[in-house]
Amino acid sequence: MERFAELLIASILLAGLYATMAYGLGLIYGVLRIVNLNHGGMIMAGAYAGWWLHEELGIDPYLALLPVALAAFLVGVLTYGLLVRRLPRGAAGGVQSLLLLFGVWLVVRNAAYLMFTGNDQTVRTSYSTLAVPLAGALVSVNRLAVFAAALATLVILHLLLRKTYLGKAIRAVAQNPESCTLVGISVERIYMLTFGLGTALAAVAGLLGATLFPFNPSFGAGELLKSFVVVVLGGLGSIAGTAIAALILALVEVFAILVIPAYLTAAVGFVLLVLVLVLRPGGLFGQRVLG
Amino acid sequence: MRGMRSCLFVLLLASPAFAADKIVIGATLPLTGSESRIGGFYKEGYELAFEETSKKGGLSVGGKKMQVELLLLDDTSTQATAASLADRLINSDKVQFLLGTYATNLVESQSVVAEQNTIPYVNGGGAASAIYKRGYKWIFGLLAPVELLADSMMKWIDAEQKAGKLPRPATIALLWENTSHGKDFRKGVSDFAARSKGGYSVAVDESFELNGKDFSALLGKVKAAKTDLFLADAHLPDYITMQRQYVTAGLCHKILSYGARGSEKQAAEALGKKDVEYILSAVWWSPLLAAKNPQAKQFVELFKGKYGGRTPEWYQALGYETARALFTAIEQAGSLDREAVRQKLAALKIPSLLPGGELTFPAEFGQQIHAPFVVQQNLSDGTSPIIAPPDAATGKGIAPNPGCPK
Repeated sequence: MERFAELLIASILLAGLYATMAYGLGLIYGVLRIVNLNHGGMIMAGAYAGWWLHEELGIDPYLALLPVALAAFLVGVLTYGLLVRRLPRGAAGGVQSLLLLFGVWLVVRNAAYLMFTGNDQTVRTSYSTLAVPLAGALVSVNRLAVFAAALATLVILHLLLRKTYLGKAIRAVAQNPESCTLVGISVERIYMLTFGLGTALAAVAGLLGATLFPFNPSFGAGELLKSFVVVVLGGLGSIAGTAIAALILALVEVFAILVIPAYLTAAVGFVLLVLVLVLRPGGLFGQRVLG
Repeated sequence: MRGMRSCLFVLLLASPAFAADKIVIGATLPLTGSESRIGGFYKEGYELAFEETSKKGGLSVGGKKMQVELLLLDDTSTQATAASLADRLINSDKVQFLLGTYATNLVESQSVVAEQNTIPYVNGGGAASAIYKRGYKWIFGLLAPVELLADSMMKWIDAEQKAGKLPRPATIALLWENTSHGKDFRKGVSDFAARSKGGYSVAVDESFELNGKDFSALLGKVKAAKTDLFLADAHLPDYITMQRQYVTAGLCHKILSYGARGSEKQAAEALGKKDVEYILSAVWWSPLLAAKNPQAKQFVELFKGKYGGRTPEWYQALGYETARALFTAIEQAGSLDREAVRQKLAALKIPSLLPGGELTFPAEFGQQIHAPFVVQQNLSDGTSPIIAPPDAATGKGIAPNPGCPK
């Protein structure tokens, strides 16, 4: 029973991390119908930004969340304004957007190699190895904090999309951009803000990840892959679905150790992905548009 | 047409291999990409060896002094680039010999090109014994196999067990990264346990993927098994992530090791001094060897002189020694004939800065050195002395881990 509780807690905490990594990717796809391959690059950039603020200015990584998110938002807005805006919309822009954003990712990654070298970096705080007892198991304070941040992000995103004019406009644009133009919503502006928001979420995920494990400029590739799995499982464009899919993926991965060797547990998620694509191509929760 | 011929002739004369008074040695290293940090260390080792040789007027080949030049390219830490650049070095740049890159997978692919082109390939960056089990004639390796790493560590643990400091039989949680490095480590520990006549039993035997983000389920399995020893084989990032989770999960074992990892300054900074105490590690070389090995002492002094007093790590030492092995074989061959140099490398037996003090490429191990490893332990005063083998020891190890609650 104790082992079950330990595994359950580990799953829930891991789900928090996965959800944080996937929100940005899901949001941008849901509204712009663009797969942001630079999501991995921004996860890495967020990790370095948090690390730099901690090392150079002594700012706690959790206090750095807001400035890093704001800076990444601006980067996202600029990326959209300078590059993404020029792409053709819809299916026609699919390949171009993949190539363009993959190129941006390569530039970001190589810039990081030049600036920070390939050395692994870590963010070490006084609570890095602090643990608290929970349901008979010792739980890392850091992991709890990451989970809390994931939960907070979910609530904020939900409130933003449901209760604010901007959120309603984002949802409207996601559903029918042409009609939005007719009722006076600036679709380009919404696209730009959504791209900024998605980029900020990626950077936040990177910063949170940096508090848990070492990273270098190649950081973000594995996280992007995992984000894909979560977003596809949850149904593209569904924020709540993303959170639930993250939990399902984490539960399957963690509990898989009871029946299969540990090195295969990472592959379980991809098997799940293939199964969902074959049996429910719209994701476990369907193709809902940011609902 | 005639003009073109003249032009080609001039180009050939200008190409490195046609400069008759110098020897051009080609090499690639991962100077960018995921292994760039270590690639940079190997470069320092290579450059020091070439600089020292130049200061002595070059290599003495058949009674004539010849300068050596390093043609170094960046293989970007990728297998395909490492192989294609090796091909370019041999067939376009016409280098006479090759020095190897770093990391097992890169050496594995590059050595195929060297073998196909029958060019001596001396490397200090590929440890997996699988590389040397392919029956290749032209590859020579200075990194001893990881099986020996596990074996060196187990010998020290066994001595402590025989001294009554560890239980007999002792149970082992054996975790290994799912790479050839990890598989060799697993084999080393498992073989030792099998030979121990009941001294050790492996209670948990699990592998994990590189760059793992969550080891809590795996560590939960270790916790449930309540083993005496925790022996893992991991690269630095996984060591840091796993050790953080190990500490937060409240685990503590009589012996704790992450294979070659443990004594790095970077890990102590990332985890905190207290959380790396009493971790056991075994490495190919340590600057502490300078206390008893004259070659190691000379290397450390040369390195500090060139690099502003910085202490070298095993990467630079292996890079330096790899180049030195090739230089020695060229001088012994007395010619630049590839086959003659290959034969001298195969028969090489020289004093070395490596543990054991001797450099050979035994044919029975596919021309991979079988030097012992140095076992180190992080102590509470922040030092990591060599605790084994006895002839290289600079301190005494402690077992069982005094940090664990009684």
